[in-house]
Amino acid sequence: MQYVLLQALFLPLLLSPVAYYLGRKAGAGATAWFSFGLLAYCTAIMIIPVLSGSYEEHYKWTQLFGEFGLLLDGLASPFAIIIYVVSTVLVLFSKPYMVARITATFEERMKSQKQLVGDGTTMIESSSLKNHVNNQIGIYYALFLVTAMGMLGTVLATNLIEFYVFFEVMLIPGFFILAFWGYEDKRRVALLFFFWTHVGAVILLLGFLAIGLNVGSFNYVDIQKHGIPPHILGFAAVAIIIGLAVKMGSFVVHIWIPHFYRAAPTPLNALSSGAMLGVGAYGFFRLLIMLMPGQYEHFALALNIWGLITMIYAGIMALTQDDIKKLLAYSSISQMGYILFGIGSMSALGLSGSEMLFVSHSLGKVLLFMMVGALILQVKTRSLTQMGGLAGKMPITAVCAMIGALTICGIPPTSGFMAEWTMFNGALQTAIQEGSMIRMVSFGLGLVATVITMSYALWTIKRVFFGKIPEHLENTKEASWYVTAPMMVLAAFTIVIGIYPDIFFNQIIPFMKGLVGT
Amino acid sequence: MTIGPFEIGFGLGGLKVWAIWILPFIAAIIIPGVAKFSKRATGGVAVAFALASAISAATLLPLALGNHEVHNQIPWISSIGLKAGVLADPLAIIMSNVVAWISFLIFVYSTGYMKGDKDLTRFWFWMAFFVGSMQLIVLSDNFLQLFFGWEGVGLASYALVGFWYKDKKKDHVGIEGRHVLGLMDYYSPTHSGMKAFIMTKVGDIMMLAGMFLIFAFAGTFGFKELLANTSWATTMSAQHLLIPAAVLLFGGAIGKSAQFPLNEWLLEAMTGPTAVSALIHAATMVKAGVFLVARLGPLFFALAAIGINMDQFFEVVAWVGAITALLLATQGMVHPEIKKVLAYSTGSQIGYMMMALGIAGLSKQFVDGYTAGFFHLISHAMFKASLFMAAGSLLHIVGSRFMTDMGGLKKYMKKTYAFMWAAGLGLMGAPFITTGFWSKDAIFAAVYESGNTWALPIFIIAVITAMITTFYTTRMIGMVFFGNKSKHIEHLEKEGYHVHEASPSMWIPYGILAVLTIAIGVVGLTFEHQIHQIFTDYLASSFGIKSTDTNVATESQSILGGFLQGVNPIALTASLAAFAIGFALGYVFYIGRFADPVKFVNSNIFFYAIHKFFLNRWYLNALIYWAFVVAPLYMARVIYRYFENFVMEGFNLVPEKTMAGGARIMQATQTGVSQSYLYIFGVGILIVILLLLI
Repeated sequence: MQYVLLQALFLPLLLSPVAYYLGRKAGAGATAWFSFGLLAYCTAIMIIPVLSGSYEEHYKWTQLFGEFGLLLDGLASPFAIIIYVVSTVLVLFSKPYMVARITATFEERMKSQKQLVGDGTTMIESSSLKNHVNNQIGIYYALFLVTAMGMLGTVLATNLIEFYVFFEVMLIPGFFILAFWGYEDKRRVALLFFFWTHVGAVILLLGFLAIGLNVGSFNYVDIQKHGIPPHILGFAAVAIIIGLAVKMGSFVVHIWIPHFYRAAPTPLNALSSGAMLGVGAYGFFRLLIMLMPGQYEHFALALNIWGLITMIYAGIMALTQDDIKKLLAYSSISQMGYILFGIGSMSALGLSGSEMLFVSHSLGKVLLFMMVGALILQVKTRSLTQMGGLAGKMPITAVCAMIGALTICGIPPTSGFMAEWTMFNGALQTAIQEGSMIRMVSFGLGLVATVITMSYALWTIKRVFFGKIPEHLENTKEASWYVTAPMMVLAAFTIVIGIYPDIFFNQIIPFMKGLVGT
Repeated sequence: MTIGPFEIGFGLGGLKVWAIWILPFIAAIIIPGVAKFSKRATGGVAVAFALASAISAATLLPLALGNHEVHNQIPWISSIGLKAGVLADPLAIIMSNVVAWISFLIFVYSTGYMKGDKDLTRFWFWMAFFVGSMQLIVLSDNFLQLFFGWEGVGLASYALVGFWYKDKKKDHVGIEGRHVLGLMDYYSPTHSGMKAFIMTKVGDIMMLAGMFLIFAFAGTFGFKELLANTSWATTMSAQHLLIPAAVLLFGGAIGKSAQFPLNEWLLEAMTGPTAVSALIHAATMVKAGVFLVARLGPLFFALAAIGINMDQFFEVVAWVGAITALLLATQGMVHPEIKKVLAYSTGSQIGYMMMALGIAGLSKQFVDGYTAGFFHLISHAMFKASLFMAAGSLLHIVGSRFMTDMGGLKKYMKKTYAFMWAAGLGLMGAPFITTGFWSKDAIFAAVYESGNTWALPIFIIAVITAMITTFYTTRMIGMVFFGNKSKHIEHLEKEGYHVHEASPSMWIPYGILAVLTIAIGVVGLTFEHQIHQIFTDYLASSFGIKSTDTNVATESQSILGGFLQGVNPIALTASLAAFAIGFALGYVFYIGRFADPVKFVNSNIFFYAIHKFFLNRWYLNALIYWAFVVAPLYMARVIYRYFENFVMEGFNLVPEKTMAGGARIMQATQTGVSQSYLYIFGVGILIVILLLLI
């Protein structure tokens, strides 16, 4: 059982050229199944050590930064598992979607070339299209594997610099995927995405450097042992909070997310909503609560309120959207607000609920994004006003999307309820213990926000799947198995967790109790 | 087999209780599989499982009669120390039997009613899922598990109200083109489903808040544990949090049972298939709120023993019930759609039950009001389910939801006619022979005898409501079965369609319930005493609520001498008078047709205004839409347009434009023209020289 995490982490990176090569030589199917097998293997070897509790590996690194460690504890393992499960599932979903997307971009380009050159290119088109698709899908999967590796690395890191490196690694492939295969003004939005997340990361890095240089080590363990000198505590905490809040898209620094979601291809949406934004939440646990408990207590109420504002504001914004991708973008912002709300709750149950909400939100939102993907593939539109009555035409997608929506709303028996009740319960406990009226009101408004969430989620489902079917959609067919099978797996997963949450709670709750007491 | 009062473990008795709610869920899971082989078999599977579940429930009845209970727990969320469990005490056993048997009958009815529908699989999945969830509510031993069932029934209601998801015109409710305060009073099935789910969710978040408040102090969700150690109540009461928590919990009941002010969803819920309306929106789900109050009422009342006064909570319950009873009854008088009339009536009757349970907590004799409320729940479940199913037959045969499209049907549908009279008499509370009479009379008596300051006004409201109830029931039967055939039916007949009786699989279930309404009604007082006895023992042994007046329960009843024993004469007189007046008015207008109700309403501006006010639902629905849907959505659009897209977007645009602008300036200097470089160079040198000179 040695090098398990090292394998799980670096195999996708090392084998990403193989994915590219396979795509080029053997086509989309081969590279998709290769990537799927690879990630499934990595997920499996990662889950085995989790079963026996906490697990870590340490390797030598440079003198300057400290050691290169990989740690799976009660905090990291739910994040790690969900990141890889979601990535694995999305590999399959990507195949039909990206083939269609690449074909579409190719045709767009051909059309513009035709306008320049004139006709006469039809002869070579069919063979060159195939080559083009194979080539591009190879690149796509190579980039995809690197993104997955970056996200996992951030979660497993035991060292600030390590965290930062992986944090950046997950952005760069995302940037390229967006710039190559995005929609509309994809280049501009790719830059925008890079700019925002990079600014966030740099602010984070400033905080890291301040801590590391003053403590003399970047290792979490050493920092916890020695403590951070008080004169930089405030600065470091603020830098880390801002850096991570940008990543999570909290209110005021959320504006990049709707653009990013609007322009990105759907698998990237799903990946980012399901895993990438959540890494910001992970950062709050690992960097703020664990490294700077004093500062956490100081900022907890503010984070709670910030989360509350985000969840309500973004929920209201989601009500006004017509583009379904933008709607889900605001929904993701709002759900990240829930997580931030839970992080600010300062109680073991609240924090556990908050982490559980990451798990639950990933499953639910990935389901919904797969629905969007299925719609784009089958219906070729993203506008809600153009849809309706599709439940009869796409029953499996409809059922799975409904389960996804219920997960987002927090209706039992989905995992969403388990996450939300623990989280709100924790928030209320703190409010009572502190006798704080503000926290009490924030708890109440948080519950009200769930009604807003429910309104937009159900309304979306209604506009897509119910009502009269427009004439141009009469011939719609169910999406392929590449789309529906992963959806069914995730839908089953969310219900299983909803009924028996101990799968994750067994890891999370004892850890959180150790962190903040009961 | 011996089952002690507190059986712990997984014995046979425990297993039976689990089976009651798990069996319907198993049916739900296998139904999609069954549908792969035969779609028509799905109905059979569902009926079989419903019957099995009902039999399982029936085997527990001896426990209830003997005042025993089964309490059985298994580990669930061990990381927080929460357990899942079932608690079958007399309250739960009786409720569970009501649910199980009525749902079994409605399942049988549905096999006829839904024949030929394309989406049978989905229908049966949700019906079975619903029954499982409902039994979960009834049998749970803790709040959290109860909440699973609570949301489960909400989910099933959402799915079944919007069952005809294609939103065809015939599946809408309301009158097309009618506007109230500028909003259309006409709703599609999917809209109604959503409305029902979201409105009840508002109640649910209150309930969650109440649950969490109690959990924060007690550290448990279990009903038994809460009762065993009441120190949590003392602490909460000292912090003035107990009454708010109790009222918040009651908020859940308000939402689920469609009580004022969350009553409006129930009317639109009538877009579902009628079998659904009968099962979910008449007999069972809407009673979940009443059941919750019945679960918690004794717990809160028993706190009086440790010096905590919960009167305020019970006052809220009683008043919400009284207001709803009157509010919805008045609207039921004027509506032309048969299902909506029944829906108004349902809400109003549930108001009676709440009123009784609330009054129970305000009187010394807790068990009287408690029994009255629960007895009314049982009798209402029977006659209202029967009425709904009969109405479903009418809809099926006539093809219209409007009573104005019916008329003169008594010749064609003799069985339905007879059964509707029987069940309708139950709803009216026809003296001495119907369950409805005895249960309503028990409520009147409980209110009147409670001795509370609010007793008199609530009593008056109750009597007026009873009168209105009789009137609108008579009106309904009169409009449907008496008078001349409507144009709609004449039109149908011209096309060669013959109005006929419903099929046996449909009329037998509502026939059974209608007959039961009368049969139990004839021995109503004895039946009531029996329930009274069960609850007296139950409340005494489980909650320590002693009954002060025992002669009602113990005195032997000779058939004639004891006939009116324990009946309050004033309540009885009021009840008889209300029935007489309501029935006479209804008879004059709708059965005898001595006067034309339309002319009567239009004859006088006062009547006209009142009629319009009732028809517009006291404007409550429209106001709720304006305040919570239209205005917020408008605000959201304004915020999106002017704040999000302008101020927030600035965060993107400002750096972008400054950088682009900066780049353009820099670019402008890089012209590549030597003359301009030389020119700038020269200017630069000049400036340097000037600087040096100064």
